[in-house]
Amino acid sequence: MTQSALQFVQTHPLVLATVKILIVFLVLAGLVAYLVYMERKVLAFMQVRLGPMRVGPWGLLQPIADGIKLLLKEDIIPAGADKFVFLLAPVISVIAAFTVFSVIPFAGNFFITDINIGIMFILAVSSLGIYGIVLGGWASNSHYPLLGSLRSAAQLVSYEVAGGMAIVGVLLISNSLSMVEIVRRQSEMGIWNIFVQPLAFFIFLVAGVAETNRNPFDLPEAESELTAGFHTEYSGFRFALYFLAEYTAMVVISCIAVTLFLGGWLRPFQSVRALDFLDYAPALGLLGAGAFIAVFGLRSRVPMERLVLGALAAICVVLALGLAVWPAALNAVQGIFWFTSKMMVFLYAFIWYRGTFPRYRYDQLMRVGWRWMIPLALANIIVTAAVRYWLSSHAGSPTAWLGG
Amino acid sequence: MQARPRPGSVDNEMGFTELLRRIFLIDLLEGLRLTFSYQRPEAIYTEQYPLERPSVAERYRGAPRLNNNPETGETLCIACNLCSLACPENLIVVAWERTEDRKKKLTTFTYDLSRCMFCGLCEDACPVDALELTQDFELAHYNRQDMIWDRQKLEEGPQPTRYTR
Repeated sequence: MTQSALQFVQTHPLVLATVKILIVFLVLAGLVAYLVYMERKVLAFMQVRLGPMRVGPWGLLQPIADGIKLLLKEDIIPAGADKFVFLLAPVISVIAAFTVFSVIPFAGNFFITDINIGIMFILAVSSLGIYGIVLGGWASNSHYPLLGSLRSAAQLVSYEVAGGMAIVGVLLISNSLSMVEIVRRQSEMGIWNIFVQPLAFFIFLVAGVAETNRNPFDLPEAESELTAGFHTEYSGFRFALYFLAEYTAMVVISCIAVTLFLGGWLRPFQSVRALDFLDYAPALGLLGAGAFIAVFGLRSRVPMERLVLGALAAICVVLALGLAVWPAALNAVQGIFWFTSKMMVFLYAFIWYRGTFPRYRYDQLMRVGWRWMIPLALANIIVTAAVRYWLSSHAGSPTAWLGG
Repeated sequence: MQARPRPGSVDNEMGFTELLRRIFLIDLLEGLRLTFSYQRPEAIYTEQYPLERPSVAERYRGAPRLNNNPETGETLCIACNLCSLACPENLIVVAWERTEDRKKKLTTFTYDLSRCMFCGLCEDACPVDALELTQDFELAHYNRQDMIWDRQKLEEGPQPTRYTR
């Protein structure tokens, strides 16, 4: 009985997949919660403030307090709302945002699934997420949400096109739509796509910011004009879902950008032997984190905080030492470490833009999208295709010019 | 009539450097550099009020205090009533009794903080520096009654909650 159960667990294809999904989902939920904390902190520092400081040391428990508050709040449904759609809309947003992670390779050996149309799947599903915004604005039966979702629809139509075309440049180089394959190609070429396709990277970044409704493209929820935009009428748990979806979308865009342009889980300059010491970066990073926690944590005036943070710092240092002396463990975390580091750079950049740029006016948004982004993306495709054709007809192999 | 330039249209007289600035988004990058530089810890302007209290100016006139003789612990007030007479709001009430040697001895001293405008005339009138307006500024109370300070409260001064975090 136990024998067959064990065998079932070991062999059934759904078991491992479920475990992976659970890991990814839980880690992402935590990441998103602390992304909000990070956003509040970074924005505060840019505005020479301190940000959340009251809940836990340096406000570290703030996301938990916020989560509890949102869950316990009253769930209000406006009188004239289309109830079914109103309830459904935030769920669509969240599901679409999380589904994308099923095809993102976090490391060479850790991804939920690898389908051969990966990037197509991502584009399709993340476009579905817009339905959540549009339907939510419509179902609220209120002016501000309707205007917000109207803007969102227009913005999405404009920037999805440019973003999609920017990706085509990468696909021309990679010969594949599979996310894993795209990273492998960058490994074979020995150079990241950003160096081959800088313009496509820029366009994708702008389109990504626009797609996640972040500054300077946050017209759908421009608070000075539309109160809160499409989620004005939402409260409590349903508002939390929209919140979750928005920040998850940020992570999604960061993950896609890292995979397509920055070599996914690859170490920087993997082909340069002289930089092999970078393989020890995970251990160094952990050591640095431990030192940082120790320096700040032991300065605390509350004994409990000193204890917990001191223990955390000690764990970090022990793990770092473990990684340094055990090459197998170091190899195992290598991919995840680099992927996460690159992703964090993007997430920081998202917050950085929000702290810096003023919002575009609606007509400016449209002009940037249609007059600059889309023509540039088209030109990029044409030039890339032409160069590739020319090189392949001269050098025989289509990728000979890259040494691949 | 001269036609106004279309808003947002690229000016024909735009110089080459201006064109380059626009193409490479120099202004946006400068903005990013500026906000990035503000993240220095020493740039933070916030004062975490209940945790760290501001030091107010030396001449700041805040909560009144009735001083005691630091050696004997007895009040410095000689119950001369000059502060009460000096007060434009008439909010100080001094009461005293005569001892056997005809000396005045202070019995009660009340100070109605709710009417005080912190002009400092009482402080100036005091011949023995017994009454003093201090630099304590936390004067909020839950009801009006608490704002009438008796002799004990005046000698102790306000006792705001101290926070460790």
